Amino acid sequence: MTPNEPRPEAPPPACRPTGDRRERISGRTLGLIISTAALFALLALLSQSFLSGYTMFVISRQMAFYVLIALSQAFVLVIGQMSLAVGAIGSITTIVLGLGLDTWGLPPVLAVVMALGVGVFAGWLNGALITRLKIDSFIVTLSMMFIYMGLRSGISGGSPYKVPEAFTFIGQKSLFGVPYVFLLVLALLGGAGYMYRNTVFGRRMLATGGNAAAARLSGIATDRMVVWAHILSGAFAALAAVLWASKLGSAAPETGDDWLIISFAVAIIGGTGLNGGIISALGVLMGSAIFMLIKHGLVEVKANPYYANSFLGLLILLAIVVDRVREIYSDKQKEK
Amino acid sequence: MLELRGINKRFPGVQALDDVGIAFAPGEIHALVGENGAGKSTLIKIITGIYRPDAGEVLFEGAPLRFRSYRDSLERGIDIVSQEIQVIPESTIAENLMLDKLITRGRTGIIDWPAIHRTARRYLDMVGLPLPPDTVIKRLSAAHKQLVQIAKALAAEARVLLLDEPTSSLTEHEARNLFGLLRGLRDKGVTIIFVSHKFEEVFALCDKVSVLRDGRLVGTRRIDGLTRAELVTMMIGRDVTQAHMGRLDAEAGREMLRAEDVVRKGKVESASFTLREGEILGFYGLVGAGRTELARVLIGEDRLDGGAIHVRGKKARIRNVADSLERYRIGYVTENRKEEGLLLESPVRTNVTISVWPRLVRKLTRYISRTRELGITRDMIRDLSIRVTGPEQRTEDLSGGNQQKICISKWLAADCDILIVDEPTVGVDIGAKEQIHQILWDLARHRKKAIILISSDMPEIIRVASRILVFKDRRIAGEIAGVDDGTKTYAEVSAAIGRYLN
Repeated sequence: MTPNEPRPEAPPPACRPTGDRRERISGRTLGLIISTAALFALLALLSQSFLSGYTMFVISRQMAFYVLIALSQAFVLVIGQMSLAVGAIGSITTIVLGLGLDTWGLPPVLAVVMALGVGVFAGWLNGALITRLKIDSFIVTLSMMFIYMGLRSGISGGSPYKVPEAFTFIGQKSLFGVPYVFLLVLALLGGAGYMYRNTVFGRRMLATGGNAAAARLSGIATDRMVVWAHILSGAFAALAAVLWASKLGSAAPETGDDWLIISFAVAIIGGTGLNGGIISALGVLMGSAIFMLIKHGLVEVKANPYYANSFLGLLILLAIVVDRVREIYSDKQKEK
Repeated sequence: MLELRGINKRFPGVQALDDVGIAFAPGEIHALVGENGAGKSTLIKIITGIYRPDAGEVLFEGAPLRFRSYRDSLERGIDIVSQEIQVIPESTIAENLMLDKLITRGRTGIIDWPAIHRTARRYLDMVGLPLPPDTVIKRLSAAHKQLVQIAKALAAEARVLLLDEPTSSLTEHEARNLFGLLRGLRDKGVTIIFVSHKFEEVFALCDKVSVLRDGRLVGTRRIDGLTRAELVTMMIGRDVTQAHMGRLDAEAGREMLRAEDVVRKGKVESASFTLREGEILGFYGLVGAGRTELARVLIGEDRLDGGAIHVRGKKARIRNVADSLERYRIGYVTENRKEEGLLLESPVRTNVTISVWPRLVRKLTRYISRTRELGITRDMIRDLSIRVTGPEQRTEDLSGGNQQKICISKWLAADCDILIVDEPTVGVDIGAKEQIHQILWDLARHRKKAIILISSDMPEIIRVASRILVFKDRRIAGEIAGVDDGTKTYAEVSAAIGRYLN
């Protein structure tokens, strides 16, 4: 289509998401909600124990971690980049936390602040390398991933660090049966959604991801947005790591090893645009629910756990295929 | 002979083509003109098999064509040179030309590069592109890429050649060269369909012209004996004037922007000028002559290598676009609205208000006021008569003219009183073009904005600007003042521009 020819004046297609369209709930998110509900109902029918308070506790807490990890990736996806270092940052954070709590015997608050600081710094470093040296985010985060993983193994020697009893409170306790972690993550997720929808900072991020050149020529300091996105990503990865240590009751060096896949899977299923500019907080929540329910369901139907990753891979593919089909369908609608 | 019979095509809510019948004869250059939305692109897509007509048929040498795909049409010898450049940026010129017919050494499947480069050289010479065939495409200018595309169509030995705005980024010299080439092809019996917005080209080059309006064929006429005015009337159904928009009286205005020996290495050499309030200062010149390059320095997108910039009488230090917007209130409407101007996937409201979000924020909640955002958008839609279904419409779905108005509105919303507008009417139809001219003139006349109009469209710049700077080889070659005072005719101004260019 030549650029100067207007599209036939068709009504704006409802199902193609715009970066910051203020529909209450997009068709895509609605689809996710329905899928989640269906999975939930199916599992409730299949298993007596599913609706028990304990299962709900475990599931919601696990979901919370998926959300954090997915957000860590989504912050960067939104500006049109990616971070392969999500899990590695979580891992190095865990080590610093362990050193603080166990080796150096610091007060928990101080150790946690230090650990989160490491995440923020790692994120900032990614962003700074990408913007100052104009290197692709893939290369930068790939290198950093290896650097952190090496540091992790070198420093820890592979054995876990002990954490004090008091530190496990937030990761293991609940409020009226709802895990604190889940409540905290819901609040953070709501905050992120609000940020992208309503604040200058968030909308500038979306604009940067939507079209970086246009955003820059509209007076947005896009480089600063990129750095901030990576800082947020690092901070959330670090937070996930700290909470994970609290949940486990120890700082385990292998923390973060499976985060990379999870971060992409949940973010993508949740409708975060891989080319930037599109994110839905509710979508990420539903993405993590679907991811969790399927994982749980596979256990429930006693599927061979060695194959579990294949199912998850299929799930990601399915999510993308569904999107693609919708896109083709909406284009067809226009052409007819 | 390529013939269209009774073509109908409907899109939701619009009859894109209504019973269109045109015969394109071999050995003829047939212009296809019409405003945006008249149905030209749809028609091209039907000829090339991208769309299927709802009714009617395309006959090629008497037999109906039923293309399943674009590739089918290529195989039948119909080639298209589109306005959007379709070349592989990382490959060489030769590879692009010969992509589907790479010469191999016998049956070994090993590519014979010398032979390919020799063949490519021949086609490059035909289009007058003096570059080695192994030059990587991404190093080429837009104009040269376009020439490569034309060479590619030649290499395909197409029998029907569809050229969609082929000169949009060519210099005059290159365009003349292309026209010579097309005439040669015509004489060899190739059918050439030439889509263009530029009347000069249609009259200089074509034998016949078919005019589309609102999806209907207004008529097919021989160029001989057709006047420009008649063609315009056919296209838009009313007359258009060439006279200047009117006097701006900017001589007494306050100085808004002054450049002193501005240098950008390799792009701009020692440019000095003054811009006053209420003035439209034209930057005329060819692509690459230093106009856009100077503008990018003025808005802080490119670094100032030497000289000084004064804004409202004070020396300015503009480090980036955010600076030029917030501290100096300079707005820049890019020449490249799709790549650099708009968030195409976002709603209109986002693009209008993107540069003013910080002003719409409520203190405590950091919430961008929805009401004020929509209010500003509605104001702009009204002020610039932007045709949209509403503030929430996807920007991508708008016509070029309306998209351009949104690019302008962004800076008006931000209260910029210095506006740099780069090629504002490229790819915009006549009706919208006139509206944009009127908007720019009104902004200067009534709202005392200081405007720099960058354009390589001579009629446009002579009609709208009050003073013109002519750029040549990265320098300001000359200045023509008082274009708006009514003492100079169009011919005099264009002759003066011509003198500075040579």
